[in-house]
Amino acid sequence: MRSRVGALMRGAAAMIVALFLTAQAHAAGVLREATIGEPPPLDVMLTTADVAAVIGRHIFETLYALDSTYSPRPLLADSDRVDDGGKTIVITLRQGVLFHNGKEMTAADVVASMKRWGQFGARGKLLMGNAVSVEASGKYEVTLKLSAPNGAWKSLIADVNGGLAIYPEEIVGKAGAQPIEQKDYVGTGPYKFKEWRPNRYVEVEKFDRYVPRKEEGDGFAGARVANFDTIRFVPVPDVATRVSGVQAGDYDYAEMISGDLFDELSADKSVHVVRNNAPIFGLFFMNSKEGILKDNYKLRRAIQMALDKSQAQRVAFGPKGLWDAQGSIFPKGSFWYSTAGTEAYSQHDAKKAKELAKEAGYTGTPIRLLVSTNYQAHFDEATVFTRQLAEAGINVQMMVVDWATLLKMRGQSEQWDIYVTHHGFQPDPLLLTFLNPTYPGWWDNPEINALRTELTNSSDQTARKATWDKIQALFYEQVPAMKVGDAYTYDIASPKLKGLNPNGPAFWNVSAK
Amino acid sequence: MWSYALKRGGATAVTLVAASVVIFAFIHLIPGDPIYVLLGDTATPDQVDALRRQLGLDQPIIIQYLRWAAQALSGDLGRSIFFQAPVVSVIADGAETSILLASITMVWVVLIGVPIGTIAAVKHGSWLDQGLSGAAMLMASVPTFWVGLYLILIFAARLGWLPSSGYPSIFEGGIGNLRYLILPSLTLAAPNAALILRLTRASMLDVSREDYVRTARAKGIRPWQVVRRHILRNALLTIVSAFGFTFAALLSEAVVTETVFALPGIGRLVVQSILRRDYPVIQGVILVIVVLYLAINLIVDLSYRLLDPRVELQ
Repeated sequence: MRSRVGALMRGAAAMIVALFLTAQAHAAGVLREATIGEPPPLDVMLTTADVAAVIGRHIFETLYALDSTYSPRPLLADSDRVDDGGKTIVITLRQGVLFHNGKEMTAADVVASMKRWGQFGARGKLLMGNAVSVEASGKYEVTLKLSAPNGAWKSLIADVNGGLAIYPEEIVGKAGAQPIEQKDYVGTGPYKFKEWRPNRYVEVEKFDRYVPRKEEGDGFAGARVANFDTIRFVPVPDVATRVSGVQAGDYDYAEMISGDLFDELSADKSVHVVRNNAPIFGLFFMNSKEGILKDNYKLRRAIQMALDKSQAQRVAFGPKGLWDAQGSIFPKGSFWYSTAGTEAYSQHDAKKAKELAKEAGYTGTPIRLLVSTNYQAHFDEATVFTRQLAEAGINVQMMVVDWATLLKMRGQSEQWDIYVTHHGFQPDPLLLTFLNPTYPGWWDNPEINALRTELTNSSDQTARKATWDKIQALFYEQVPAMKVGDAYTYDIASPKLKGLNPNGPAFWNVSAK
Repeated sequence: MWSYALKRGGATAVTLVAASVVIFAFIHLIPGDPIYVLLGDTATPDQVDALRRQLGLDQPIIIQYLRWAAQALSGDLGRSIFFQAPVVSVIADGAETSILLASITMVWVVLIGVPIGTIAAVKHGSWLDQGLSGAAMLMASVPTFWVGLYLILIFAARLGWLPSSGYPSIFEGGIGNLRYLILPSLTLAAPNAALILRLTRASMLDVSREDYVRTARAKGIRPWQVVRRHILRNALLTIVSAFGFTFAALLSEAVVTETVFALPGIGRLVVQSILRRDYPVIQGVILVIVVLYLAINLIVDLSYRLLDPRVELQ
């Protein structure tokens, strides 16, 4: 009996030692990124989920790509010309670009992708809504004819997020409205799709036959060189675990770290803090279709007047380096930066707000504010604003739901008066959701429609900027939505990574020391 | 015994059908829609309708249920909307992590809970008992996410002895990958071991007041033999049924621990699928969990007889 126990003990001890000793050496050339969660299908054309775009950007490519100043530069395109007063766009493609299945990309693939994007793509209608025809005018030439010019066309096809990623014609043909199948994740990017293990990882591997552009890499534009053999995107939902994982060397990069850790991590030598160069901004949409806020611009202005946006951002994002309470829709330094109307951005005057609300005929009816808890910042901002509005006698009733419910409810105009979301940085105003008259909020009246048409149809950037100033002024007058402020997200990386992309996590041109 | 098992099997099947109807109805009652989550915030009503049609979600709910039930009977739980893979394989992948995690946790729970609970019962009323009961209370009250994060901080980030998170399958990386489960299993073991410890102590104290224990002592049997043969053996009946349910709960409810340690387990799978409204996965996982609970219930009932021949199964 005693010897049996002894043998068991020895066996157990041996096993424990073995467990410690088999510490797996990480294969050379593998980059491990901790993402915030599991992505939806990687059919980037259909979805606007960032977590899908971050992975998809390595696999799929677009005709143009945004450089570090967010200007579109050719990627799969070689050159372009615009005829017929901006109504005809002719794009010449790069030759010798291969899909991961070995087939060369031609105009037929681009045309098929464009058609699907126009019909089902998340942002496809912005350009293709006015398309009269799109056809291959040569093996490497695509001609797009529009019913009216579109001054932002290049920016609209310069990113994979809900954008015009180029897929092989035969794959587009069988997909339709449904997300393409995993076995059909075939793009032209520097990495090709390898494997998706639910809740474990998505893995991409170097595409050996990728031919980079000649120009130097800049943001998402220019040459893309794959220095790692494999990239593994690992869903790590808990932010503290993502941080410890990079500190422990289990991950090389971790996304979306919370603001309260910023100061501590900036001083930590075991990690490198990467602040994204383009801010996101919180948006509180007003219901322009139905309910108490419909057409009542005065009441909306009263609501905005009561708010102190800095306070909400301090609560939501933490240290001052991570947010900027400024009213221009586009950040300082951007071509589209404008001060038009921004004096109304954050006045925090409860007394005036109360008077204005009274003038607007407000009698204390509860205003329904739809918000989800999936994004802590949304909930924090809504809580701060609700209290500030109460001080001005404006009665807000928070309706707290989960994100999936909010996405559905906000499409039903009778369900809410205000809802909370946020917006990513966009290179052109036409990509802003509140300018889209069919987007929940439904900002649709003669004034904005006229300005929108002016912005869309002009291709002179100076004239477009002047129109944008007018739109922003109207944004503060009619308040279809309220901007909370700019928030800079940040990631952390292992100090051994070199050449990190300033536009966000993209790991071509990145190498390990 | 076999007729009992058959009878119980029949009742289990009825429970299963009832559970499947309830699961299906409840999941479709939650507001929200996978289509909106899938397409994101710029989807137009046309795009939403087109995809809903293609995924068959535009059909009446009864038709959707019957179609699902018919497939489920033949072992096909459908395809995940988000993972684009058969639900059965998604669950199987998660089950490996959950089963291993629950098993290792149970080893800690038994190794910690039963001996220490026995000591506390034998020395009841002493400072040792007070100290052990106090420690158990503390272990049961500290939130698991806190314990988990501190274990990661100390053993992964500071000391570098163990991996911080994730779990690569043992079928791919060998048995050494079990080291990924050491910290999570300790995290999960803390509250559960405390529970078993207290349960062992309480049921042993109950049994020690029985007449036959007094008789055994009066006969002059050595104290530890009384504890081992007479008290612990009889107290085990209660403890074993707690083992069964603790194990089942560990399989399906370790969501917080799985989230903190980024483990691809069943708990996280089901919560994530609910948030995204991945109907086929939610239905499949809950069905599997129900089957599991029913099976464990059955096994626990049958094991009573093995532990105590006096128990009659009817």
